[in-house]
Amino acid sequence: MRLLTAAAFALLFASCAGTRPPAPPAARVANAPVLLPVPSDPTVSFSLSFPAGSQMDPPGKEGLAYLTATLMAEGATTRNSYAAILEQLYPMAAGYQVRVDVEQVTFTGRVHRDHLAAYSDLLLDAILRPAFAADDLERLRQRALAHLTRTLRYSSDEELGKAALYTTVFAGTPYGHLPVGTVAGLKAITLEDVRRFYRTHYTRDTVTLGLGGGFDDALPGRLLAALAQLPAGVPALPPPPAVTLRGRQVVIVAKPGPATAISFGFPLAIRRGHDDFYPLWVANSWLGEHRNSSSHLYQVIREARGLNYGDYSYIEHFPEGGWRTVPPVNVPRRQQLFEVWIRPVPNAAAHFALRAAVRELEKLVANGLEDVAFALTRDFLLTYSLHYADTTATRLGYAVDDRFYGIGPPGHLARLRGRLATLTGEEVNAALRRHLNPEHLVIAIVTERAEALAEALASEAESPITYDTPKPPKVLAEDALIARHPLRIPRERIRIVPVDELFER
Amino acid sequence: MHLKFALPAVLLALAAAASAGVFPYRFETHTLANGLKVILVPMPAEGLVAYYSIVRTGSRDEVEPGRSGFAHFFEHMMFRGTERFPAGEYDRLITAMGANANAYTTDDYTCYHLSFAAKDLPQVVELEADRFQNLAYTEQDFQTEAGAVYGEYRKGRTNPFEVLEEALRDTAFEVHTYKHTTIGFEADIAAMPGMLDYSRSFFQRFYRPDNVIILVAGEIDPVEATLTLIRQHYGHWQSGYIPPQVPVEPEQTTPRRVEVPYQGRTLPLLAVMWKAPAFDPADLDVAAGLALGELLAGPTSPLYRELVLNRRTVQRLMGQFQAQRDPGLWGVIAQVAEDEHLPEVEKAIADAVAELERRPPAAEHLEAVKAHLRYSFLMSLETPDQLAGELAPWIALTGGVEGVDTFFATLERVTPAEVQRLAAARLRPERSTVAVLKGVE
Repeated sequence: MRLLTAAAFALLFASCAGTRPPAPPAARVANAPVLLPVPSDPTVSFSLSFPAGSQMDPPGKEGLAYLTATLMAEGATTRNSYAAILEQLYPMAAGYQVRVDVEQVTFTGRVHRDHLAAYSDLLLDAILRPAFAADDLERLRQRALAHLTRTLRYSSDEELGKAALYTTVFAGTPYGHLPVGTVAGLKAITLEDVRRFYRTHYTRDTVTLGLGGGFDDALPGRLLAALAQLPAGVPALPPPPAVTLRGRQVVIVAKPGPATAISFGFPLAIRRGHDDFYPLWVANSWLGEHRNSSSHLYQVIREARGLNYGDYSYIEHFPEGGWRTVPPVNVPRRQQLFEVWIRPVPNAAAHFALRAAVRELEKLVANGLEDVAFALTRDFLLTYSLHYADTTATRLGYAVDDRFYGIGPPGHLARLRGRLATLTGEEVNAALRRHLNPEHLVIAIVTERAEALAEALASEAESPITYDTPKPPKVLAEDALIARHPLRIPRERIRIVPVDELFER
Repeated sequence: MHLKFALPAVLLALAAAASAGVFPYRFETHTLANGLKVILVPMPAEGLVAYYSIVRTGSRDEVEPGRSGFAHFFEHMMFRGTERFPAGEYDRLITAMGANANAYTTDDYTCYHLSFAAKDLPQVVELEADRFQNLAYTEQDFQTEAGAVYGEYRKGRTNPFEVLEEALRDTAFEVHTYKHTTIGFEADIAAMPGMLDYSRSFFQRFYRPDNVIILVAGEIDPVEATLTLIRQHYGHWQSGYIPPQVPVEPEQTTPRRVEVPYQGRTLPLLAVMWKAPAFDPADLDVAAGLALGELLAGPTSPLYRELVLNRRTVQRLMGQFQAQRDPGLWGVIAQVAEDEHLPEVEKAIADAVAELERRPPAAEHLEAVKAHLRYSFLMSLETPDQLAGELAPWIALTGGVEGVDTFFATLERVTPAEVQRLAAARLRPERSTVAVLKGVE
């Protein structure tokens, strides 16, 4: 498999030029497609991305980007009702989905070659001819509202904690609401809003087409010619959010529940493609590789102490961490967050677990990564990163994201592996010192013991941990240090929010 | 456990060319003298290999009172090391090779899986063979892990689907071990730290070669070297598996119902389930049942169109026609928009079942279901890890890969009249259990 560059793509079409009559200048898609041909693959993977994410929501209409995109992916077109679309896709075992993030909206799908023509017609219909039917809008609006008010608030404390973290860190910026929107914003959106948003943001000048797998040479041209029917225009993006944290602050989401969920983090100044991103990746992998027992936080909180199910850290946005084992694609952001995720701990252990995690982060930044840990993590990532993109569809996703970040061939993951070959522990530790500063943190906690925890945090009360079972002396000795570890958060920096107030506006 | 029939595409063309079967890859099955079965599936994989150890023991085997959840708990203990490779050393070696390694437990089996570069296969075989034969852990390790399992249970308590499932099973079954979920009853989880001796007997009873199947897929062609490695490292493992006496569930004769409170304003859930047959790929009832699930509650079903798209009283509708080793449950789960819609949604499900009993489904709808299941399966075999993950339940339930082609051949024989007959025979009110979860303040 190889990634065709824009130049190679031009050559592909140049070779056909002699067989066609000269055509008048026509509207064209501005962006070269991302092509990942795999001739032996009997399936074809599609990607259509637009810079039409939730940062483009007008004030008071938070959720407009989300509803527009989901109406395209899960609504009628001018040619078919949504039920008729499902009937046609179903025997192919195919579909198209959309991921709406703050920056990008990406439609993806995969189909067997047997159904390529019929499938691509349906997908193009969704992009070019959405009906924006009133009953589809109500169905999807209702679902989005239920997601915020019932599911996120009451059915997944882990995701709730992370959502509280993002919305607190980026409050007041275009990143400050969840991609799905707010309760008030979703309720205020009209069909006319959706149609206007579509006309403005879904343009031939912003769309990026991606294709992977066993497609024929004619398919890219056919899709691009169709996409050229989109209107022209490049809507101006808002600047990436400029957030500067000062010290530590806590938001405690008060809701009943048997356990406490904790996330904390701060904006990260660098992103994918920056030279320091790769050494930082190694450090983060050591501290908290997602769903991996090699994670140091996992070792400290779960493995040695059995306080919860897992503990991880991130230098890029990582939605759906509860049911995803490797990083997602198509959530590129100009502004990232460094983030620690502590899965639910018993309410009585919340203060202790928070202290343990913050302390480990502080130790990492202050002391750096030891040589042995550096070498082990470097070796781990060299192979483990192969699992990040083991399918054509995922490789295509990475290639499309490379376009967003301005990363040329051979791409982000290959760049990581190349950088690992020469990386030193000193570079990792220098990057850590430059970019991670745990003195400036937002901590989000979901718990039913909001007041008591707030007081305990503010007073730096000791938080001794007790176990039902014996622990080794080494663990107990460290526990005594953790239980007194200062977090330095004054009471006025601790805010308690009833869960029903979250995501309202 | 689900047998998810989702497939990719690589294989369809190959399958059509090679044979009438659906499974597109060549595979070999070998059985060692001690009963250990080894299934090898060579495939192009860009240098990757998937190594799955499938123990045909899950929560269904937890027959002793107070031991629910133990198969899952024991899965955690399998990462606590041996004398030769203590936990830290095992982790270090797995980390150094960049393997993607994990495990999961279901009602019917426990699966340990790794995906890694082909060059590391000898090391992986050595590590896996060692822990399956020589697991050794301290009481402290054991008790600490019990805490992590309790944490997993607590995490699940904020998921209304898991709360619903716990009550549903407890109501639907009287004596069969499907009565408890895989993670187990909370009281049993809380008592796990005191079960050290039991854990050792569990290992001795169930972790035996004649109860385990090794599946290796990916860049292992020619396969002889892999087989030699496995013979070398597992050949001395002593057989001696003794199947537990899993209680047989008596025939259900009256409808059952349970109301499930959930702390917090979640969306209400409605589960309407019926007693189902055990999975057998040659059983026409099983194939017709899996098709029936799609016809009743799939995205092109009249019920889906009516409740999700037209009335919008249901946000998610899911057919749960699962394949299980013993007779389990089939049914429909609806995530309902508001509490007040629950009665009409329940009636709509009953009406849809009655309609399937009254007249057979359209032949073209059934054919679409068959195509959907076939393409879904084929499109899920792109990588060794995907393929092994897809095959694991087939292997656990049937003991091999052959069941795949058997099942799809059986599915081809399903007719609309067969679906109608099955609905009338199986989806009877007296065989049903309804569970309703509502949020409370």
